[in-house]
Amino acid sequence: MSENSLLEPIHGITLEDYSAACAKIGSGLSEADVAKALGVEVPVWQEANLLWPERMKQDSTFHIVTLFGQYFGAADKHPKFSNLKPAASTEGSGNVEKIKADKDFYQELEVARQVAYEYGLDGAQWILDKYGIPLGDFQIAASLWSDQIHQDIQANYQGYNQRQDAYRAKYQQLFADAQGGNVADDIDF
Amino acid sequence: MFGLFDKKYHNPELLEMIGHTQERWFAFLDKLENRMHEMCTAAVPEIKEVFNQDTDPYKRAHGHMLMGLHGQINQMRQKANKTKEESIFYFIDRATTQLPDFISSAGREYHDKLRIFRLDCINRHNIFEEKIAWYTLMLNNAVEEQDLETFYQEQLAAFEDIRNKFICKQCGGNIAIAKIFFIATYITCPFCQTQNTFTPSTGAQMVLHQARSLAEQRTAHLLKAYEASKPKNSQLYQQYLRSMFDEWNKIVPDMATENEKFYQRMLHDHTNSINHY
Amino acid sequence: MGEDKEKRTLTYLERLKQKAISQENYGGEVKAEEAKMEVRDCPECGAGRAFRQGLTACAYCGFKFMNTRLTDGVHIKKENNS
Repeated sequence: MSENSLLEPIHGITLEDYSAACAKIGSGLSEADVAKALGVEVPVWQEANLLWPERMKQDSTFHIVTLFGQYFGAADKHPKFSNLKPAASTEGSGNVEKIKADKDFYQELEVARQVAYEYGLDGAQWILDKYGIPLGDFQIAASLWSDQIHQDIQANYQGYNQRQDAYRAKYQQLFADAQGGNVADDIDF
Repeated sequence: MFGLFDKKYHNPELLEMIGHTQERWFAFLDKLENRMHEMCTAAVPEIKEVFNQDTDPYKRAHGHMLMGLHGQINQMRQKANKTKEESIFYFIDRATTQLPDFISSAGREYHDKLRIFRLDCINRHNIFEEKIAWYTLMLNNAVEEQDLETFYQEQLAAFEDIRNKFICKQCGGNIAIAKIFFIATYITCPFCQTQNTFTPSTGAQMVLHQARSLAEQRTAHLLKAYEASKPKNSQLYQQYLRSMFDEWNKIVPDMATENEKFYQRMLHDHTNSINHY
Repeated sequence: MGEDKEKRTLTYLERLKQKAISQENYGGEVKAEEAKMEVRDCPECGAGRAFRQGLTACAYCGFKFMNTRLTDGVHIKKENNS
């Protein structure tokens, strides 16, 4: 029963609404935009935005967090947000679709993003600049692919690691070149 | 026939190779460590400067710079690991296959030499790893913790300055704001009863997100006392947790009800983890 | 040789620092805004939002300010439904 009470809407905003709203904020919508889409005003949205994470913190079964992840991944299908998109370049929107349809493309960019941080860059901003993909869409893709990637790892752990290592090597090289090499490039055995 | 096993095995070339490889490995790690030292000591004042100049409330310029430096340390670690596999372990494996059998006295001497060589190389590598940990900490501790207390007090003072300065957008009457708000809310005009929407300053809204960290800063000494206790004294942890939540609730009283539920969960998690021992 | 190596480290650090300071952070700069007071007039009848009829609808013409059912939140409560 307590689980049910934790899933009750907050000011009429369901967990599905909330998760999709978070994904859309990650993709560049403002608080005012999402509040409007949900049929509420900003103070009401802000309370829901404060209280849903509290519910997650209180839930020791992780049920709400799990559902949040699922709904987050399905944000594009949420009826209240289906017509709302932040302004993006046409090239960007192509990649936004691609990252949700092409698993390898997602996996490669996920590694690129991580490596970018290791080279002192804001990885999320780099992905946005280079591919026009906002963080929210990136996270949606992460949620969409997570089950399949998990299966891939179980089916062929070595193959998975080899691909990841190859991506890492590629982007380490790229970012190292861009900064004039690594600090210890001249040190050899 | 048995005499064959006792025939002395000599391979001075291998001994020389072992000595030479060990020297190279030690020198290689020395060089990496020197470079790490050079980079990190030069980086500390730069990190401080970037941190102090970073006007971003999340200190993201500082964060990215720090991650970049950790990335370079990690790059050196990768280099060492790769060399350990390809030049040390591979060399040992190949040499091992060429030695007489381990159970012969002739073979045993050389197997022992390789074993000791392997251990020396691993020990040297462990020292390298310890240095990595040391320099990592040095970079992380280059700046003091962000002073959340001062920021919080500034926000309280800023609120005192403005709390009586708002007027109702409908009737022009004065609206005194009863207490500090950290999120947008509706405030009723005492004269015309119109619902005004009050949006706190960005700084006040930030307090909500920093409240827990500030409460943790205020009670850090209690957590330290718990962590220093041997064996771990659960009583001390519970004291810390209660005080931390008390401080948290003092900073953002509006969240006290929700915070208490979270407190119960953390207390529950703690007692459960102890029962496992 | 020693100078070269030192130069390598210093060049790296200088570039890293410039990159950290000058790059745009995801989501952009946090703009520090002052606290503000606003009122939402009813788009239908022009009246200000009155306290007595709750937050969700206009007290005069019934226009729906918000299409939702308020629950007990932080400051906003069930009673604030119109």
